[in-house]
Amino acid sequence: MKQTRTLVAATVAALLLASGGTLHAKSIVLPPDGVQMTPSNLPGYAKARAECVQCHSAEYMLMQPPTAPRAYWEAMVKRMRDVFKAPVQEADIPALVDYLTKTYGAEKPR
Amino acid sequence: MTMKTLQASLSRRLLLAGGASWLAGCTTAAQKAPAAAAPGTVTMPFVNGERRLAVYPEKRPLIVITSRPPQLETPFEVFNDGLLTPNDAFFVRYHNAGIPTEIDGDKHVIQIGGNAVGKPYTLTMQQLKSGFKPVELVAVKQCSGNSRGFFNPRVQGGQSGNGTMGNARWLGVPLKDILARAEVKNSARQVTFNGLDTGVLGGGDFVKALEVAHAMDGEVMVAWQMNGADLPFLNGYPVALVVPGYYGTYWVKHLSDIQVIDNVFNGFWMNPAYRVPDNLCVCVPPGTAPSATRPIGRYNVRSFITSLKDGDRVAAGQALSVRGIAFDGGLGIREVGWSADGGKTWREAQLGSDSAGRYSFREFSFGFVPAAGTHDLRVRAWNRKGDSQPMEALWQPTGYMRNVVESYKVTGA
Repeated sequence: MKQTRTLVAATVAALLLASGGTLHAKSIVLPPDGVQMTPSNLPGYAKARAECVQCHSAEYMLMQPPTAPRAYWEAMVKRMRDVFKAPVQEADIPALVDYLTKTYGAEKPR
Repeated sequence: MTMKTLQASLSRRLLLAGGASWLAGCTTAAQKAPAAAAPGTVTMPFVNGERRLAVYPEKRPLIVITSRPPQLETPFEVFNDGLLTPNDAFFVRYHNAGIPTEIDGDKHVIQIGGNAVGKPYTLTMQQLKSGFKPVELVAVKQCSGNSRGFFNPRVQGGQSGNGTMGNARWLGVPLKDILARAEVKNSARQVTFNGLDTGVLGGGDFVKALEVAHAMDGEVMVAWQMNGADLPFLNGYPVALVVPGYYGTYWVKHLSDIQVIDNVFNGFWMNPAYRVPDNLCVCVPPGTAPSATRPIGRYNVRSFITSLKDGDRVAAGQALSVRGIAFDGGLGIREVGWSADGGKTWREAQLGSDSAGRYSFREFSFGFVPAAGTHDLRVRAWNRKGDSQPMEALWQPTGYMRNVVESYKVTGA
C-alpha cells in the first residue's frame, strides 16, 4: 500500500511542481473502474456496454439489491436518457431493460 | 501566515517530498494508522454487500460503493478513533462523473448573482479568506442515504452501510455575510448552489437550493478548510458549502455559483430527487409510495456503539467498557440510554463533553460485566426536544434517514 500511496502522492504533487510554486493548484488522477459490466449473451449487453458506462461504473448496477424489479431498471434507463442526456434510442430500451433485469435484478437466474 | 496555514503548507511540502505524513496539517483529528493494512475487500452485513477497498487521491483505503463517480464509504472502525473524522478517511459522494481534475485554489472564484440581488459580484478566494470574519464550527456531514443497505424491504440506490457520515471542524465564512454584499432584495425566496462538477453528457448538473431564511441564518457557511487543512480534493476543494444539521446533499462541493432567486428552484436534484414523505414520521408503510413529498431536511437522532461490532466475542465475567457516538440535526443530544437485553430494560450512559457544540458527534460511554451467553446491546439517544430513535426501523422508498435503535449482539465467553 505504501507504494500505492507514494504513487498517488506523486500524482497530486506533479501539478504542484508544474504550476511554478503556486501551492494551491492541485490535480488528481482518479483510479480506473473497479468492475466492468457483466458479460451476457442477451442482446442488451452490447448496448449497455456502449451506453451505461459512458457516465458511470458498473457498480451502479452490480450493487443493487437482487430484488430490484424490471420497473426499476426501466425507470433508470429512462432517467439516464431524460435527465442525464444518455443517447438511448427508444427502440433499444426493451433490450437494455431486459439485460439489466436478468443480469442484476429480480429476474437474474439464481 | 497563521499557524494553521503553515501546517497545511507544511503538509503539502511533506506530500511533495513523497512523505507519508498525510495528516501533518490535521492535528485535531485522530492520528491512528489506516484501519486496513492494504486495499482488499469487505462484506457489508446485507445481501449483495461485497465491496472493494481502494485508494483514491488524498484518501486512505475506503470502501468503494461506486468507482466512477466515486462514492467511498468510511470503514466504521474509524469512528472509534476520535470524535473528528480524519480528512483522509472522510467519505466521498459525487453524483456526476464530470469531476474537475485540476483546480487552482488561488484562482478559483464564486459567482454571486441571481434575480433577487441588487449587486451581483465575483468572490475570489483571496476575498473570501481575508475580506470577512471567519468562523469555525464542528459539524457532522451525513449522506441522506447513509445506511440504505439495511432497509427492509430493500430499496434501490447507493447501497451504503453506516459509514457515509463524518464529523469535522469546518473553517469558513457565514453565507449571510457573503450574500449581504450582494444586497439581497425583499423578493428573494431561495438560494441555489452549483459546483464545478458536471454531468458527463451535459444533463443532470448537481444544483441544490435552500430557502433564503435558512441560507441567511448565520450558520450555513462557505468553508475552505476541514480539520485544519485544505479540503481534500474529493471533498470539494477548494471551497464547499457547509449546512450544519442538514443532510450532505446540500453541502455542494467545488462551490462556484450562488444565485439568489425570487422563485422555487425545481432542478432534478431538488425535485423529484432527494424528497422524503411529507408527514410527521417521514415514513410510509413498507412497499408503498408517499402521497406527498418535501425536500429532505435536518438529520434525525442517531447513536452508534463504536467500540464493539455486532457479533463480537467479549470476556465473560470481566468489566467491559463500551463507547459510542450520538448526534442529531443541531438541537444537541440530551441523553443516551443503553440496554443489554434487547431493549427490555434501560440505563443511562455517561455523556462526554459537549464542548464541540450541538452539531458534532457527542461521545457516550457505559460499562457492564457481561455474563456468559449472548447479549443484545442497544443504544438510544434523545435530543433536547425529546426526539429519539424508533425501536423498529421506519421505511421510505428512497432509503433516506434511517435511524433505528441499533442492535449489537455480543457473546460473553
